[in-house]
Amino acid sequence: MASTTVTGQPEWEERPVISESMSPALPVPVVQLLQVVTVAAAAPGVSGVISRVEARMQGRTGPRVLQPYFDLAKLFRKEALAPEGSSWVFLAAPLGAMVCYLTVPLLIPVLTTFGLPLGYMGDILGGGFILSLASFLVATAALDTGSPYAQLGASRAKTFGAITEPVVLFVVFTVALVTGTDLPYALAATVRSSAGQIIRPAHLLAAAALFMVILYETGRIPVETHTGTNEFGMIEEARPFEHSGPYFALLKWGSAMKQLILFTILLNVFVAPWGLAATPRIGPVALAIAALIGKAALLGVVVAVIDNSFAKLRLFKITEFAAGAFLLAVLGVLTLYLGGG
Amino acid sequence: MSVILAATVAAPSALSGGANVIAVGVLLAEFGMFRQALLRDQVRLYAAQSSLISALAIVVAATRHLPDLYVLAFLSFALKAVIVPVVLRRLLRGIGAIGGDPRWSDIAGSHALSVANAVLVAIAVAAFGFFTVAALGIRSPVLPATALSVSVAVILVAFVLMIVRRDVVSQAIGFLSLENGVSLTALVVAAGLPLILEMAFLFDLLVAVVVFGLLIRVHHGRAESMSTADLTSLRG
Amino acid sequence: MHAVMILILALPLATAVICLRAPLAAARTLTALTGVASFGLVLALVPTTAHGDIAYLRLLRVDAVSAVFLLATGFLYGAIAVYSIGYLSGGHGGGAPTRYSRRFWVGLNLFAWAMLVAPMMSNLALLWVAVEITTVVSALLVAIEDSDGAAEAAWKYVLLASAGLGLALLATIFAYYAGTHVLGQSYDLGFTQLLAVAGRLPHAVVELAFVLAVLGYGTKMGLVPVHTWLPDAHSEAPTPVSALLSGSLLAISFYAILRYYQVAAAALGSTFPRNVLLAFGIASLLLAALYLFGQRDIKRLLAYSSVEHMGILAIGVSFGAPAALAGVFLHVLAHAAAKGSAFMGAGVLVRKLGTKRIASIRGGLDLLPWSGPLFLAAIFALGAMPPFGLFRSEFEIVAGGLRSGRYAAAAFLIIAVTVAFFGLAASASRMLMLPSPSAAQTVPVPEPESEPVPVAAGAAPPERNAPPAPAAAGPTAERVVRVVRGEPSAWMVAPVAAGMLALLLLGLHPPADLTDLFTRAVALLNPGAR
Repeated sequence: MASTTVTGQPEWEERPVISESMSPALPVPVVQLLQVVTVAAAAPGVSGVISRVEARMQGRTGPRVLQPYFDLAKLFRKEALAPEGSSWVFLAAPLGAMVCYLTVPLLIPVLTTFGLPLGYMGDILGGGFILSLASFLVATAALDTGSPYAQLGASRAKTFGAITEPVVLFVVFTVALVTGTDLPYALAATVRSSAGQIIRPAHLLAAAALFMVILYETGRIPVETHTGTNEFGMIEEARPFEHSGPYFALLKWGSAMKQLILFTILLNVFVAPWGLAATPRIGPVALAIAALIGKAALLGVVVAVIDNSFAKLRLFKITEFAAGAFLLAVLGVLTLYLGGG
Repeated sequence: MSVILAATVAAPSALSGGANVIAVGVLLAEFGMFRQALLRDQVRLYAAQSSLISALAIVVAATRHLPDLYVLAFLSFALKAVIVPVVLRRLLRGIGAIGGDPRWSDIAGSHALSVANAVLVAIAVAAFGFFTVAALGIRSPVLPATALSVSVAVILVAFVLMIVRRDVVSQAIGFLSLENGVSLTALVVAAGLPLILEMAFLFDLLVAVVVFGLLIRVHHGRAESMSTADLTSLRG
Repeated sequence: MHAVMILILALPLATAVICLRAPLAAARTLTALTGVASFGLVLALVPTTAHGDIAYLRLLRVDAVSAVFLLATGFLYGAIAVYSIGYLSGGHGGGAPTRYSRRFWVGLNLFAWAMLVAPMMSNLALLWVAVEITTVVSALLVAIEDSDGAAEAAWKYVLLASAGLGLALLATIFAYYAGTHVLGQSYDLGFTQLLAVAGRLPHAVVELAFVLAVLGYGTKMGLVPVHTWLPDAHSEAPTPVSALLSGSLLAISFYAILRYYQVAAAALGSTFPRNVLLAFGIASLLLAALYLFGQRDIKRLLAYSSVEHMGILAIGVSFGAPAALAGVFLHVLAHAAAKGSAFMGAGVLVRKLGTKRIASIRGGLDLLPWSGPLFLAAIFALGAMPPFGLFRSEFEIVAGGLRSGRYAAAAFLIIAVTVAFFGLAASASRMLMLPSPSAAQTVPVPEPESEPVPVAAGAAPPERNAPPAPAAAGPTAERVVRVVRGEPSAWMVAPVAAGMLALLLLGLHPPADLTDLFTRAVALLNPGAR
């Protein structure tokens, strides 16, 4: 959907400036690989930060920040069981979801301000689709098990998803309308360009709507309690209920990666698109990695604060929450499309 | 449509962006009223909405050099954010809705639709308002065009609020937020309206609030509740 | 002339203030005097406005169009003020008759004052304020009866009318905005100013303002589909208030729409405004004519008749020919007189027989030697029978319609009016001509107390005012009562007679001054008409 010049490069792209400076240049495919690796490696850490901060706020010491890594390692060593009557879907879904979560960082601005080669595989809409595909695979596996809790969680997730998926779509439309393209890099560049872009209501509304969707997708208050299993209120938490061993580890890792990916989209596209590397050199890239982890940790702190400040909504009130997110997203599009704001 | 797309790529200035944000805040406050279950919270939300409009009036006064608007902003703040909520709260206390007999509680009556459905209907109505204003192509001299679309949307959503609510106080607050939407529109397209006329409108609003209060008291006295669900005897 | 205008403004307001404190007998007399005096003052304005406009103090402005509506209000004010003397002697107000009467007098004067102020305002913003004041005052008057129905009707009325006026305020603002393109950012919404530059106003904005004005003020005027408060409010209010509501208040709202029509026609050409008014007019006329059948409450019946006539007014303006517009103005006056008389007569019937239900009212002609025939005449007048004024006005409207080529609409008008007449006449004739309850017949009366109501004859009526409170009083008791022939009160007959005389005058031979007034009003509304 991007407009291209004769040479085939998109017009909006900031050309990487290769100048004679100290740090050596990395080959661009390496940078792209680094994006995936960063997201995969940092994701459990971000979860750990959130748990720690939340515990601290409640007056407990809390688990160590690196605890999720140890949990994953432990799970990989354990035996995997499958419920009687489940099919290959049950075993394939965690792998499929993991593949999806590894693909999306290729498409979004994780470390760099310029588009990387494979980044043109899909625009932000494509990224959204792949995330939905992963969610669909996990839900299908949950249905495959025949366990009541897993099915409950899966059906609830998909029901509320009927409102939250359009919200993501509308957020994408906002991106498209502001920049004229569908690529998230372009929006990041636009947002960086002037203060007016940050303050315009469409931008703020889209960011707020996306944040509410993130709260829903990652299973945080006010949608679910992340800590502890509350069977009757579980939505996201219930879906991996029946998996065990390495498959469970893959699912946990996958959901942590989903969290970090969504955080990255919110941060690097909407809210704080600074600290990204403008050139594929080691120095800026390292800085970008650190910036990403730092920003994600900060956002995690915000999520932890919200966790501790509000009560979980009763199940039928979650539609109000989702309708509120939908409202913000639609208003964002309307003020932009019909008002020039 | 391509004209609009080209316009959106260029960002509005930070100031007009800020003004737009305040206007959108007014609309969000309007939607928030769907969610409020307690009558005193609705009154508070109405006061917040009125304060936002006064703030916008000050912004317009500062950027467009219309000193009359300072006076108007102050007056409308005093009236709509202070006096009217006080009157309403006193009315509610007088009927025992606040801090009184628990039989006549502070909880707003049930809606005709559930909150989520009502919000979705209101979104559709607001979208209609946005489309209409865009189709008419009205340009405001003092505020960006978004503000006009937002104000028309506030009016339409206030109508939905009045339809969906089933108790007298919520309906009255819905009407007051309708008047807020109209004054926001006045700010956008008629910022130069002579102060004396604006004051006449404000005074008139006060009179209307008093009369509403009297009639609420009459209704409450007869029906011993605030619900309008039983007002069905006059038909045909 | 300026002094006359100031007097018209000041007198009813002063009377209202005095009635707050004065003894009730004085309040009664003073109100009646003020009402008649106001009518006289308005009459004094007619010759001057028939040839020119009067402006004063930048705030006030009376031209021929305003004078017509002032006449309607003034006449009804006088008639109702006299009628109320007899009405209130029937014992209203349940447990607190003094408080009821005082509120009634104060409210009546304030209401009439607000309705006299509105046509005299020179700019659109103050016009809106005046109409809003009429809304709030009349809402309080509707609620003055101590009954469930009145409370419900008052709440619906105030909510719907205020919401409609919110739209009308939006229309005022958009009209202001249209003017800023030509007159600069800050100007008072003077009506003549706006009219003078009408040709240069932006079209889209004026269209929007006009439609919003028709919707907003149309809510108060009773145009379908925003008329839903009207039958409730007009039937639950006390009879004098209902008469004023139907006869004057609807007309004042129509006046506001006419002002917007003037600006819109000058700015856009007459096609668009006329089509809008035609659409609303046809809807109102059709719905009202159909609803007139099967009404069970006498005042509700008359309320729907008001909706019908408002529809006729809208259609008349949409025809646009000078004959039609002259008919419209005559119709405003004649409708005020006829509807006022009809409501007043209905009030006498209700008082005599103690119920508003049509099925229970019988033998009007036998029991009421004066009011019966007068009420019948009023109903015929409402159905546009010659020689009354409404026949003349509707004839002129139809003639104008045919002249401007709107054959279908004119035909529809005739058919609908006939249908409406059937509806009205069916109920009215049942009420008036079926035999009256004889000694052996029972009259269902909800019995508040067990004490027997004394049977009386002549001018001192028994206390028959029983507000419907079936739940509290238990099953409707039926008592054998002798309802004796005789008028409840002379005060309640004279105004009706005056109204019918006025109708005859308007129908047979409108005074020359009045015709001059109409001609000038038509010219104002339709400069360069064909």
